[in-house]
Amino acid sequence: MTTPPAPRRRFGVDFATVLASPAVLFGVAVFLVPVIVILVRSLTDPSPATYADAVTSDIFLRSIWTTFRMAVCVTAVCLLVSYPYAWALARGPKAVRIVLLGAVLLSFWTSTLVRTYAWQILLNNTGVINSFLIDSGLISDPLPLIRTDFAVYVGMAHILAPFTILTLYTQLTSIKPEVEQAAASLGASPTSVFWRITLPLSLPGAAAGGVLVFILSLGFYITPEVLGNSRELYLGSVIVQQIQVLLNSGTGAAMSIVLLVMVVAVLLLVGRFVGLGRILGIRRGDR
Amino acid sequence: MRARWFSITVAVVMAVVFIAPTIVVVGSSFSDSSFISFPPEGFSLRWYDDVFGDPQWMRAFGNSVAVGLLAAALAIVVGTLLAMGAARSRILPSAAVTGLAVIPIVVPSVVLGVGFYIVAVNLGFTGSVVGLALAHAALGAPYVFVGVLAALTSVDRSTEEAARVSGATQLGAFLRVTVPAIAPAALVGGLLAFITSWDEVIVAGFMTSPSFRTLPVLIFAQVRTGADPSTSAVATVVTVFSLLLMLVVGGVSALLARRRRLAATKARADDTATSAPEKGSR
Repeated sequence: MTTPPAPRRRFGVDFATVLASPAVLFGVAVFLVPVIVILVRSLTDPSPATYADAVTSDIFLRSIWTTFRMAVCVTAVCLLVSYPYAWALARGPKAVRIVLLGAVLLSFWTSTLVRTYAWQILLNNTGVINSFLIDSGLISDPLPLIRTDFAVYVGMAHILAPFTILTLYTQLTSIKPEVEQAAASLGASPTSVFWRITLPLSLPGAAAGGVLVFILSLGFYITPEVLGNSRELYLGSVIVQQIQVLLNSGTGAAMSIVLLVMVVAVLLLVGRFVGLGRILGIRRGDR
Repeated sequence: MRARWFSITVAVVMAVVFIAPTIVVVGSSFSDSSFISFPPEGFSLRWYDDVFGDPQWMRAFGNSVAVGLLAAALAIVVGTLLAMGAARSRILPSAAVTGLAVIPIVVPSVVLGVGFYIVAVNLGFTGSVVGLALAHAALGAPYVFVGVLAALTSVDRSTEEAARVSGATQLGAFLRVTVPAIAPAALVGGLLAFITSWDEVIVAGFMTSPSFRTLPVLIFAQVRTGADPSTSAVATVVTVFSLLLMLVVGGVSALLARRRRLAATKARADDTATSAPEKGSR
């Protein structure tokens, strides 16, 4: 093996640092400065009391509760439907696996906006589901599907489930079949193999996917805006309204910081158990 | 055995639920009636005619392409260089560079949008291609960073060392050995950055103006105020375009994974061979 040549240090700075420095400056200016600007604006427009006003305002507190409840439910639904799906994707017959992978990827790669629009078409009063039910004589008046929490939950779960399915699938394929076979050969029934071997070993994947879905739900804007009830606003909508409609950039900034703190807190808390890199998809090679 | 079939049945039903919305949008775009219906009433391409003949849609299309290309190019450069910093720099702390690089995927889009908006209003560049492209470059750069970092930390450094020993400058070794090794990962990241920009509504909603709008912003405006089959037609065009790009991404990623597997097998073979030939020496 060759010994690595001593790096030439013209200015005492290594080559990678020279290359990365302009990108770091760009990152600070474009990624970090906007966040700092929000923080500054929230404290100075007009004063730190903005936080007290924003955080105690009725609409904000209600939106936090509405959003938090939605995020918990959507995460639960995503995990619940993801287990059978990811399991069939990892262990089913080959033809089934191809169909399932194609379906989840087709959905995943269709943008959030287009899928939200699709749910609007499906759930509208004159939409696909209601016209079908009315035409077939089952109901005479359209069911109130759109502009409800139900519509938001269905749309959000549909949009976010691919995240939990794909992380869970990756985790399931990393479980060695020998482990499950060993349990089965020692007399465990398929059910107890699942509960005592597969499920515990899949938990890191479920946690990583679940926390991703949870933090994405907290900041969601488009789907609640289109499918939700305009009297029950979600956090994202309240923030956009403060900035764009009411032109209260100080209040909007303070609310943005509260949302950011919630997201980072959840991420750090769960990251301690499953690793931040796994949640964010950062992978390092072993060399 | 019952649990197995239960699971597969649930999964197949879910699969239908997954693709149904996309099919409804595509189907309703071919309708002959003037309101959205599914299954479509009759068959016509009139809504596509409408869209492609409408200067407002065509301008938005041009804006989206321009913003996406510029954002992807910026994301490739910035993401790759940040990955170099995180993987190789002896001065910049790796955790700090990684933290900086992932800010845009940790911070919710609504919050980033508010930040970009305040900055852009103060500097006076809302409603411009460059302003939105900078913001979208931030959203796309983490994809490039994550991919290139994985490639950089699994690349065999002895090839670069061989190039240096054979007289290449650091820049020469970087451009002719490292860059080709990480280029596919950077390209995949760049495509993902383009698709992110292509589909993005929230930040774009803050950064656009009535005279400068992208496709998703225009679609969103229609979805809110009242969509018609032409909305379905545009949504279909946008989706088909994204899907085609994702297929390219999938193809290149599969190729990369195969190359990594081959390299790993080869490395193991080299390690076990008693007289391993020196790599890169000619």
